[in-house]
Amino acid sequence: MTGNDFLVILFESVSSTLLAEKILKKQNVAHKIIPVPRHISSDCGVCIRFSAAQLDEVEQALSGRVPYQDIRKL
Amino acid sequence: MTKEIDARGLACPQPVILTKKALGDNNEITVIVDNETAEENVRRMAQSQGCETTIDKKDGNIYIHVARVCSGETTREAGQEDPKRPVVIVVGSNAVGRGNQDLGEVLMKSFIHTLIETSPRPDTMIFLNTGVKLAVTGSDVLEDLKMISGSGVKILVCGTCLNFFEIQDQLRAGTVSNMYDITEAMLGAGRLVQI
Repeated sequence: MTGNDFLVILFESVSSTLLAEKILKKQNVAHKIIPVPRHISSDCGVCIRFSAAQLDEVEQALSGRVPYQDIRKL
Repeated sequence: MTKEIDARGLACPQPVILTKKALGDNNEITVIVDNETAEENVRRMAQSQGCETTIDKKDGNIYIHVARVCSGETTREAGQEDPKRPVVIVVGSNAVGRGNQDLGEVLMKSFIHTLIETSPRPDTMIFLNTGVKLAVTGSDVLEDLKMISGSGVKILVCGTCLNFFEIQDQLRAGTVSNMYDITEAMLGAGRLVQI
């Protein structure tokens, strides 16, 4: 969409994704729920996309609260 | 003489019904309404019937002059001969599928996001019932919808539904529409996808 570098954070379950979304919303961290990109997994899953510049914020917001699997480049 | 239809003070969809009726017997009419939603709805209906419209505004009243351009009936109703019939997506709630609401909302975000990245795009998207909440202030998919709309997809948002939820003034993507436009879009669709 823009020249911005995006990362995606992957979770073990949809409910974890939902929980993480709630936390990020509350803390005003810009993010977006998107389907897990095909090149990452062929599963029908959802993940959260955010700007690479916000990696620290996202990790801080979620660490100890929601277990996540991986953070990958989009 | 041009027939005059006074539709001031009438609730939607009365002005549209009266206009449609009058157009059955007249080639030229003037419809008087007192608000912009009625103006927009009458104008759109008239144009879909192959009429030209001009607008005059005087003393808080809106005069819509409607003139049939060619007397030939529109062939849109038969439809089949149109080689490229539109793809229409109907979004009937703010969640995808029935069952769990939270899950459905996540799926909706995922779906709308994917529409941006997928081709072919639909020609028209129709938002009904709680689906209209996706197009108003505070919606998580608002930016996506604006982008979709900006790419040429027609977004029709049910006015009755906006009114029911009392969020008419918060619409930020697409145009307020009525059951005439919505039904016509559905029936004129080459393919209708219901979410």
